[in-house]
Amino acid sequence: MIQNLRTEVKKLLKDKKVDIVLGWEKGSLPLSSSPLFIHKEEDVDRLIFDETCRNNLTTYLTKDKRKLGKTYDKIGIVVKGCDARSIVLYVVEQQIKRENVIIIGVPCNGVLEKKKILQKTENKEILESKIDGNNIHLKGRDFDLKFPLKDVLCDSCLTCRYPDAPVHNIFIGKPRKEVDIKDEFKNVIDFEKKSSEERWEYTKDEYARCIRCYACRNVCPACYCNECFVDQNDPQWIGKTPEVTDSIIFHLIRNLHVAGRCVDCGACVSACPVDLDLRIMNKKVEKEVKERFDYTAGLDIDEKPAMVSYCENEKQDFIMG
Amino acid sequence: MKNTYIPFQMKVKKIYTESPDRTLKTFDLSYINEEDKFDFLPGQFCEFSILGKGESPFGIASSPTEEDILKFTVNRTGSVTNEIHYLQEGDIVGIRGPLGNWYPVEKFKGQDVVIIGGGFAFTTLRSLLVYMLEHRKDYGKITVIYGARNSDLFIYKDEIEEWEKRDDLTLHLTIDNPVKGWNKLTGFVPTVVKEVSLDPTSWCVVCGPPIMIKYTLPVLTEIGFPDEKIYTSLERRMKCGIGKCGRCNIGSKYVCIDGPVFSYEEIKKIPEAL
Amino acid sequence: MIKIKKSEFNKFIENLQKNYSVFAPVTDGKATAFKKIKSSDDINNKVLNTKRSPKEIFFPQSEVLFQYTEKGMEVPKREEKPFAIWGMRNCDTKSLLLLDKVFGEAHQMPKKDMYKDPYWKEKYDNCLVFNLACNEPLSTCFCNWFDGGPFDKTGSDIFVVETDDSFIFEAVSDKGKKFLTDCKTTENESDKEIKKIEKLKETAESFLAEKEDISSLFSKTKEIWDEPIWDEIAAKCVNCGACTFVCPTCHCFDVSDEGKGNKGKRIRLWDSCMFAIFTKEASGHNPRSQSTQRVRQRVMHKYNYFMDNYDEHLCTGCGRCVVVCPTNLDIREVIKKILNYKNEE
Ligand SMILES: Cc1cc2nc3c(=O)[nH]c(=O)nc-3n(C[C@H](O)[C@H](O)[C@H](O)COP(=O)(O)OP(=O)(O)OC[C@H]3O[C@@H](n4cnc5c(N)ncnc54)[C@H](O)[C@@H]3O)c2cc1C
Ligand code: SF4
Ligand code: SF4
Ligand code: SF4
Ligand code: SF4
Ligand code: SF4
Ligand code: FES
Repeated sequence: MIQNLRTEVKKLLKDKKVDIVLGWEKGSLPLSSSPLFIHKEEDVDRLIFDETCRNNLTTYLTKDKRKLGKTYDKIGIVVKGCDARSIVLYVVEQQIKRENVIIIGVPCNGVLEKKKILQKTENKEILESKIDGNNIHLKGRDFDLKFPLKDVLCDSCLTCRYPDAPVHNIFIGKPRKEVDIKDEFKNVIDFEKKSSEERWEYTKDEYARCIRCYACRNVCPACYCNECFVDQNDPQWIGKTPEVTDSIIFHLIRNLHVAGRCVDCGACVSACPVDLDLRIMNKKVEKEVKERFDYTAGLDIDEKPAMVSYCENEKQDFIMG
Repeated sequence: MKNTYIPFQMKVKKIYTESPDRTLKTFDLSYINEEDKFDFLPGQFCEFSILGKGESPFGIASSPTEEDILKFTVNRTGSVTNEIHYLQEGDIVGIRGPLGNWYPVEKFKGQDVVIIGGGFAFTTLRSLLVYMLEHRKDYGKITVIYGARNSDLFIYKDEIEEWEKRDDLTLHLTIDNPVKGWNKLTGFVPTVVKEVSLDPTSWCVVCGPPIMIKYTLPVLTEIGFPDEKIYTSLERRMKCGIGKCGRCNIGSKYVCIDGPVFSYEEIKKIPEAL
Repeated sequence: MIKIKKSEFNKFIENLQKNYSVFAPVTDGKATAFKKIKSSDDINNKVLNTKRSPKEIFFPQSEVLFQYTEKGMEVPKREEKPFAIWGMRNCDTKSLLLLDKVFGEAHQMPKKDMYKDPYWKEKYDNCLVFNLACNEPLSTCFCNWFDGGPFDKTGSDIFVVETDDSFIFEAVSDKGKKFLTDCKTTENESDKEIKKIEKLKETAESFLAEKEDISSLFSKTKEIWDEPIWDEIAAKCVNCGACTFVCPTCHCFDVSDEGKGNKGKRIRLWDSCMFAIFTKEASGHNPRSQSTQRVRQRVMHKYNYFMDNYDEHLCTGCGRCVVVCPTNLDIREVIKKILNYKNEE
């Protein structure tokens, strides 16, 4: 698979079909990868795709990185299913032109969640790791663990319905087709069953840890505003302190802004340095949007952005109630 | 130890509206407590507080010789400056200062000085000019070039009239484009600097919008001013004013404590200064 | 040298709490941080680098500078007891020395008092720092690049080594000496203990990756300031503030007023040079509007500008930023890239 991918990418660069290709390379930490910007053919050999390719690279197409879109007429980008859905979102929201990106789909079997791995090793450092088939083997100074890979995949991946890029120019390897997922909203349903005190306690404790570094926002493909509401000072919309009330307001507004646009790529979840459970609210909103509008973000490139006026006009009783 | 973050209170004594579009106002503040009075030199600045809104840095426009007041001219542009513009005479405001360094008036003694200013950035230049005029005997020839987009945008118009009458001071006023009724110079400051004949053995102080500074400094070099005799005042976003909050640096220099006054010689050593 | 059996650790902490507010590494929800502890049971001596750095004990993420009413301004009263911090690692104790340069004086000396940060000074000058040796450094630790080390004592009052059955204390500063003398525990300088410590130290140092020679980093960063290498370094950064917020040496903050009418407070909050609005001026002009300029600011500040002003690197090699960066922008690799960069000429 990886050889085919590299060959295709080399070809694209050689034929000048693209000016740059976004992919992943091996990271500097165990079980990590890092975004790779390929300009030259000789860099293609650094390209990888495996369970460590966590980042949603489409975020580089917008935001501060909008200059990427300006500097290059043709951008190639390697995408998992969720990543490709972010591109659909960009096209629908007219952030990029479809013809300016060459979408290279790769078959995704899910990516690793560092936090789950650290739970397994009880926060001990991994010094050696190996993935073979459906199992993962980890070694540290005083442990040697082997367990099924799916124990440490991202929650988003475990409930992912569309592992293949729904829109692509090239697809490398064998597509996995739509996966039949029954309990996509299990975390939300379980959460809803709790009493409102329990829900509040949980929410409060989670958001109390937020350090307002905005990594979640900055890696999120759906957050690409030039000036985010939290950064405005005249008027200043919300407090900038890490107090739990300020943080909750930040996250709730962000949730509303990405409502019907979040593709559940999990980028925010793994970016968060203090391991907040950001997914529960993302999924809650996604579930509401699905139930009320029968809409799933990022699947249909011809769809009008139906969600645009949604958060302003609709009843917002689902937030806390 | 005095808490350096706590402003002391001053009373708004007098407000002047400087421009007909009301975007520029000058505020004379008087001390409430004698012990708050501080020594400073032209070029220094203060943090001006409106409690509940925040703090903003402004160059001190009064001269140290005007002992009972502090004068600031404020351009209305954002949250704090908006609030400052709502002030009424008699209101109480907070001040922290004096902050930063100053124009090297000690070095100017006995020598000719050229002052070049643009727009509302004439504030600390007013301080310098008034200071030198108060100690007139200490200095040689004083030449002032002051430019504004149009004649409405000069600040301290009444004082300019007074200065024009003096024979111990050469004053060149210029506006960007000719208009009927304007019989002084026209053209951008850098061009005017080239046109009026300046003596490159003088000291020179330049203050104005960044773009003006950027284009004026090379002209001065062309005329023959050595880098170490050209001074200018730089601006960066600030918060603490005391070298801690980290945002006002240009390279390893912090505008709030290493500046705001820099010589052209120093500026050339820090990339991105202009 | 003083030895305290692990079984006596609880009592030791209890005694310490009589005169000090004791902070120590704790597991707080899913993350680790230095927090004020209720009892020694809260302490997690196993965690090497807490996710959040202990700088927040002295320089909290949000701190009230003063409250104001129509009557005037008032600094909130702080709790009476001085701080004791248990379990800091060398990279963190060193960071306190660096921060004290910024908050204690700033590099401009003439008007001293004005440049003293009273909030920092009050807490820092009265604290007692216990530096716990790192028996098992992580693969992300690179304190040795900056002449620190798992058993280095710089910046602490009392140096502590955890052995199999005890904690061994050694006074480093005068404050530390006084504390240990007052402890009234008998001194015991046994060869056995010294050997144990030597052994632990050796093992710990063997865990560290090879030391990189960074002596030319200062001149090199200056040289390449204008080179295109920065675009390459910065390309993947998404300009979140994670690296700077977890960093024990980053000191930047914003000041913001909260209040209505005559009542309110002025607070300071951590800020980061990675954020675009950090330097954005009212006119809209922004001297560091590009992501590349901001990444360069962070790297230059740590390895060049701070050196220029204080003759030290503003980095202790704790590796926190390496761990948290969502794009794996590894500062160690940035340093290596810079050191190995060949200018075109
Ligand atoms: C040394 C120095 C001297 C100055 N002298 C004058 C003067 O005499 N007259 C005048 O009108 N203006 C002066 N300025 C610019 C003035 O400080 C800003 O226009 C003002 O801070 C804008 O504040 P705001 O709250 O209205 O704008 P906002 O955009 O709402 O800014 C919010 C805050 O950011 C900071 N900030 C934003 N822009 C700047 C900036 N350009 N410089 C510094 N801090 C900034 C301030 O803390 C400000 O309160 C000076 C700036 C400096 C650095
Ligand atoms: S909110 Fe999180 S999961 Fe949703 S699109 Fe953004 S980064 Fe991905
Ligand atoms: S990444 Fe985590 S800590 Fe940072 S702002 Fe988002 S939720 Fe808060
Ligand atoms: S820059 Fe990184 S390694 Fe250096 S002190 Fe800060 S967090 Fe630690
Ligand atoms: S690296 Fe950035 S955030 Fe950290 S101290 Fe330097 S300027 Fe401030
Ligand atoms: S944590 Fe990484 S991505 Fe975020 S600002 Fe720092 S270097 Fe950039
Ligand atoms: S204004 Fe805070 S460091 Fe200069």
